[in-house]
Amino acid sequence: MSDKIKITPVNRGKRPAFFDDPAIDQLMAIVMSMSAEMSVLYDRVDTIERLLDNKGTLSRDDIEAFRPDQDTEDERNVRRNEYIARLFRIIHEERESLVSHDKMDEYNELMDELAKP
Amino acid sequence: MAPQAHHDLMVDTTHDEHALQSYVSNLRMYILNEIGGGLSSVYEGRVKPAFEKRAGHAPQDEHDVRHAMMADPYCRTWSTMMRSCQEMIWDSIIPSIERAQPELNIEATRLAEHPKGSMTLDPNVKIPRYVSASDIHLMPGNYHSERGANDVSQGALYDRGVYVYAAGNGGPYGDSIGRSLAQHLKIRFPDLQPERILDVGCTVGHNVMPFVDVYPDADIHAIDVSAPVIRYAHGRAESFGKPMHLHQMNGERMTFEDESFDLVMSVVTFHETSHTAMKNIIAECKRVLKPGGLMIHMELPRTAEMDPFDAFYIDWDSYYNNEPFYQAFTSTDMKAAYMDAGFKEENYIEVMTPDIYAAPFDTFEAAASGPETKAKRYGRLGESIHWTGWGAWK
Repeated sequence: MSDKIKITPVNRGKRPAFFDDPAIDQLMAIVMSMSAEMSVLYDRVDTIERLLDNKGTLSRDDIEAFRPDQDTEDERNVRRNEYIARLFRIIHEERESLVSHDKMDEYNELMDELAKP
Repeated sequence: MAPQAHHDLMVDTTHDEHALQSYVSNLRMYILNEIGGGLSSVYEGRVKPAFEKRAGHAPQDEHDVRHAMMADPYCRTWSTMMRSCQEMIWDSIIPSIERAQPELNIEATRLAEHPKGSMTLDPNVKIPRYVSASDIHLMPGNYHSERGANDVSQGALYDRGVYVYAAGNGGPYGDSIGRSLAQHLKIRFPDLQPERILDVGCTVGHNVMPFVDVYPDADIHAIDVSAPVIRYAHGRAESFGKPMHLHQMNGERMTFEDESFDLVMSVVTFHETSHTAMKNIIAECKRVLKPGGLMIHMELPRTAEMDPFDAFYIDWDSYYNNEPFYQAFTSTDMKAAYMDAGFKEENYIEVMTPDIYAAPFDTFEAAASGPETKAKRYGRLGESIHWTGWGAWK
């Protein structure tokens, strides 16, 4: 396989670190890759289940040759989107529960008020 | 992701590669819409008030917004996810192309044997620095990398990459901007009957191919500096049975005769060039255009017309997604650039069209036949997707 091409970058500059500790960026990249691997695995199990439903038996070739039709792809899209939402819930939750700056001031004032002897 | 329209240069994927690409497109849409959709509330709710408290005034421009937003943990998380996901797109495609490349090159050569259109390669075309020096939108090898004789690998990478990036929302042919433009022009300018059409910076030819359908009597020409994408574009067009004439050529120095085209267009080409190149291309478009012909370039919206937050959002890619000319381009006054090139002010036009796949056809038609549409937010900001373009009659 020595003549197989290798597709490599030309120049991407330095990869940006968005967090003060670049390890957080690296961890996020790892989590996202892991999420992808798990989704691929789930699709593979789904393929196995569908083939078993239809044929009662299967080979590795059957799995490799399987391509989802649009209905199957639609079902998988729904399942993947639910999966993504569960996995990254903690981030989305921040959006849902965002407390504006003004509200925080109000809340602090309320705390002071209630704490008055 | 709906299936991409099949052609003979599409790369076979394994079961798991297909599953990975599908997932990456799902993930990208989630980050873009579900996480990214929260950015404006984060800005209005805490970043802007904190800035005002600190500075005594509201953020003045996109740079103020960027500095403040990029210090916010929510925006940082969204950013790191966007960046990683963009890298994941290419990573999900590359192995299949590395494996398929030898057969792919043979197939492209076969498709070119009895063509309906034509292909002209020019080994003297020098790859300009704005292409050779950077992996635009993080695509490894950018548009021009060539790996052996008759190579089409970067064309294959771009074709699939853009499809996964858009999660199929650009239609099965990935041609939504080109098809929206062609239909818009057909409705808006019924007297425009082009005999010769030119696309500048065509890559794999996806956005000019709909012009074959919309203007079936026209000769369609398209140029790009990269031989691999031109070879791929030629094979792809032949596989779909669409006659197109592909040329390896630099838009800054075209070899076409003066006044030889009725319609000269491009789709998202300018923002991947440079300020100097853009001026050269506009001048060349004018030269090759017949008197009475139309030049139109579909591009990113102008940030000068936006509030600072939207401008920050649009230009994020310039700083974090390897789009080195993006920010400078979105703040360029296109009308002034056209006037500088000698186009007349009264001949200047703007296009704002709903996406042909996303909008109901009567909405699309109304936008093309009525007074100029003004969308509050458009392109990838969009609650409703609009595409923008700047043009001039010669």
